Amino acid sequence: MRRLLAIAFLWFLLVSLAGPASADTFTCLACHSAMKGKIRTDGNVLIDVNVDSEKYESSVHGGFDCIICHKQFQSNPHEATKIGNVSQNIAALAGKLSPKAKVDPVALAACTECHSEVYKDWQESVHGNNIIDKRQADGADCLDCHGSPHYITPKNTLSSMVNRKNVVKTCGDCHENEHLAKKYNLGSSIIERYYESFHGKKYALGHPTVPTCVSCHKSHAIKKWDDPASPVAWENRTVTCGNCHPGATRKFVAAITHKPYGKDNPIPYYFQKGLILLLFGVFAFIVSHVFLEVFSEIRDKVFRKEKEEHHE
Amino acid sequence: MNKNLPAEYQRFNVIERIQHVILLVTFLLLAFTGWALKYPEVEKSRWLVNLWGGARTAGIIHRTAGITMLLDFIWHVIYMGYMLGTGKMKLNPITTVIPLPKDIFDMVKNVSYFIGLSKTKPQFGRFTYAHKFDYWAVFWGMGIIGLSGLFLTFPVQAAYIFPSWSVNWIWEVLFVMHSDEALLAIVFILFFHFYNEHLKFDKFPMGMSWITGKISVEDMKHEHPLEYELEFGDKGADK
Repeated sequence: MRRLLAIAFLWFLLVSLAGPASADTFTCLACHSAMKGKIRTDGNVLIDVNVDSEKYESSVHGGFDCIICHKQFQSNPHEATKIGNVSQNIAALAGKLSPKAKVDPVALAACTECHSEVYKDWQESVHGNNIIDKRQADGADCLDCHGSPHYITPKNTLSSMVNRKNVVKTCGDCHENEHLAKKYNLGSSIIERYYESFHGKKYALGHPTVPTCVSCHKSHAIKKWDDPASPVAWENRTVTCGNCHPGATRKFVAAITHKPYGKDNPIPYYFQKGLILLLFGVFAFIVSHVFLEVFSEIRDKVFRKEKEEHHE
Repeated sequence: MNKNLPAEYQRFNVIERIQHVILLVTFLLLAFTGWALKYPEVEKSRWLVNLWGGARTAGIIHRTAGITMLLDFIWHVIYMGYMLGTGKMKLNPITTVIPLPKDIFDMVKNVSYFIGLSKTKPQFGRFTYAHKFDYWAVFWGMGIIGLSGLFLTFPVQAAYIFPSWSVNWIWEVLFVMHSDEALLAIVFILFFHFYNEHLKFDKFPMGMSWITGKISVEDMKHEHPLEYELEFGDKGADK
């Protein structure tokens, strides 16, 4: 019995000492969880130096050493960074990412070590392409959709930016952005158009299976809609729509265009104007009819009755 | 009370009453489950739709009620055709629900009475112009809301019958038709039908003929004098 207790005590000691983060992480967080505010790097980039240690530890990456991703900061990060510590693959990838990742491109490249397949999808996607080939500083990388890797939570939690409940807003952060929409010709208020569609209306009401942006456009492997590899390219739409609407034909798939209701789509536009006219016409008739009748009923009950009584 | 006259008159038979109850129940279900989809951006819509078990369940209820209503409507049309075809129901300008020029004159006279330009109310038959409006509004609603709703329930099948030159705008048109006309129907029922059949002094809280099918002959004489005359004219004259 005593031996059992001793074992239990030792086991408890072991578990309680082995924290979620290793000693290295603990060392970094000692300062970085306490530091507040932003600093400007040599490259004239403003970076947030704070890491919320509690949130980090409860994230999916919470058990990691900082240097698993921040590979350049092996010894003393506040000395000049040593690219020599980084494998060639990652260093090469980091080079490609430099237009976007101004502070630590190596850390952004490091995602591929564990998430190689989706990373490859992304590199070939319209988002990855925009950074790697077109060298745009405002393209979407992992962080733009998933948030900081320090705080990523599983997809099925509400705090995840790519959770079903948040993903449309996450896409909208860029696709509704006026500057970006103009620069990349993203279509006018595309998220608003989505919310006008049947899919979007049901989504707003919390329908559990109705498609979000990523259901039709894909996520990591997203392509421009006219790219033949895009699931919403005309050639592929019968298959894509057919996932939920078996038997979808080319005539059917024209239903979803995200086109606005405006004057460039004149038939529904003027049709609706006509219906609204009819609506108000009927309203005006019934409302005035009912109110006039109420008036006459009250008049009859109050005055005509009086008259009768007076008569008697 | 004249002894030759019964106390009550059978205004609606049991089939008509069942058709009306199905219409009433499905209408309320459709209105309550569909309303949220018209204004999904409003916070309360989510609450309303959760009351019905969430968006998916509300959708299933909505479609089921819609199809039931359409079947009810088809039943009614077939029934009317049968009644007229077999001569069980005869066309008579006093009892028909078909709009006639008299209804326009009745309306003008009635409104004149409301505002005091006429000393007397018009003499109504079995159905006043308001009843006829109520009745044919359902036909309009079935054509516009019912048909578009059916297409929206079965979009893949509907796409087969749409001509290819229409597919770029037909869905928006269908949606607008369904949604705007449904709003019209709801406001119409809430305002016109509710006032005329529930809120009027001598109707409040409601007439019972939708359940019993009967109207007292006294009320009939008052509200449908021409029909009263037609049915009991001779006996009434004995009084």
